[in-house]
Amino acid sequence: MDKWEPKSRKEKFRQRALIVFALALMVWSALAIDVQWSTMGGLSALGDVIGSFFPPDLGYVPSLLQPAWETFEMAIVGTLAAVVMAVPVALISAKNITPSKTIAYPIGRAIIVVSRSIHEIIWALIFVAALGLGPFPGTLALGFRSIGFLGKLLAEEIEGIDEGQIEAMKACGANQAQIILFAVLPQIKPRIIGLTIYRWDINFRMSTVLGIVGAGGIGYEIQSAMQRFRYSQASSVILVILVMVAIGEIVSARLREQVT
Amino acid sequence: MTVNESKNKSESSNSILVVENLKKTYGTGDEALKGVSFEVGGGEFVSIVGPSGAGKSTLIRCINRLVEPDSGKVLLEGTDIIKLGKGELTKTRRDIGMIFQEFNLVERLSVMENVLSGRLGYTSTLNSFLRRFSDDDISFALETLKRVGLREFADNRADELSGGQRQRVGIARAVVQRPRIILVDEPTSSLDPEISRNVMDLIEEVSVEDDMPVLINLHDVDLAKEYGERVIGLRDGEKIFDDLPEEFDEQAMNRLYRGASDEEF
Repeated sequence: MDKWEPKSRKEKFRQRALIVFALALMVWSALAIDVQWSTMGGLSALGDVIGSFFPPDLGYVPSLLQPAWETFEMAIVGTLAAVVMAVPVALISAKNITPSKTIAYPIGRAIIVVSRSIHEIIWALIFVAALGLGPFPGTLALGFRSIGFLGKLLAEEIEGIDEGQIEAMKACGANQAQIILFAVLPQIKPRIIGLTIYRWDINFRMSTVLGIVGAGGIGYEIQSAMQRFRYSQASSVILVILVMVAIGEIVSARLREQVT
Repeated sequence: MTVNESKNKSESSNSILVVENLKKTYGTGDEALKGVSFEVGGGEFVSIVGPSGAGKSTLIRCINRLVEPDSGKVLLEGTDIIKLGKGELTKTRRDIGMIFQEFNLVERLSVMENVLSGRLGYTSTLNSFLRRFSDDDISFALETLKRVGLREFADNRADELSGGQRQRVGIARAVVQRPRIILVDEPTSSLDPEISRNVMDLIEEVSVEDDMPVLINLHDVDLAKEYGERVIGLRDGEKIFDDLPEEFDEQAMNRLYRGASDEEF
């Protein structure tokens, strides 16, 4: 009699082996990070700490509006500056239109890798060390990380565009710059806008912690409140961040709807 | 005006385009063109036919070097396009209009901007960035849109148009270049039979009214014979027919498409 099974025995075995392997990996990792069960008893203290955050000191909120607004501005300026820089980086990092595969392309890819592999916090530490405290180094940190993100995704988008439009512009006698203006940018424009909004959303959330390393914004407030053991003030900062991120989420969702 | 003065040293002085022994082998080892030669005279409408893979598209694209040929000559009014440097090639391409199978319009730009893009070769980079074209270019583009029957669609986005309308925009874009010759690559393959005829009529109209030489690839032999003043047959990268459409008979058809040589008959 003919029989049909969705999965062969061999495949079933392979699947089970994979599950066993994953479990083994988990156990091994738990041992490797050296979980200290003995200190888990101290978890009851966590309750006390959390308790001291309540109620939030709402009288503190008005003095947070200025740093909150600063955070918002850092995200906008950092993101927009990054877009302006990321478009040329994407243009040289896309295989199909790069002016030179041996020089420009590796430079573009290197910019993307360096930008992406260094975290915002580390960028912020570097710029704070170089430029001092304040929102400017924080904005630079957001921008420098975003160039790689935007550059990489835009380069991928360019690699997927309709080459026929480029061919048509070439055939008209358009130069390289005109080909980019007429055949490349119109095709990636919606993606530029979409990614900018998305990245702004990320940067906005990220900029709330940059203050912890002294790079401006509302993060500094949480840092100073915690250091002074003013937990009820810290909780009002967290509350403000929560509201800000929620607003940011709504705004970016609305904007993205407009684009598509 | 189409007759070229003495620059062209080859025998027929009224040829706009002279192609000599053009060869192209792709990186894959595919010999697309094995030494093709022909001429196109002033105002002449020349059809190229042949089975798919015969090298029709490669031939057309080698003329404006969208595909780089390996050897041979392409003389446009006496200038050898193959020998041109990058900057000169860009300038010379302004004199060669091209109409594509897939229209190749910039979908997100307006119909008018697409037509005006045919003038990019005469527009500075700064003005292109600002989308600023000369008054002459604008009035010529509008006039040409009227000519192809799309004046009222000037401000529509190209992707809102039907296939036939898009190809008309493609034709308008080639016409506003004020080229010396128009190359056409399978203009009707993406269109219905009826729309195909409208498009072919329009190309013929441009050719006749502007005394414009047209070199056109067609997979449809009937269209090629009907519209062509001359028919060139390509098979396996070689020209095996070049004569008046009346001469393209059953036997020529068999030679071209079934690979039957005369001896086998």
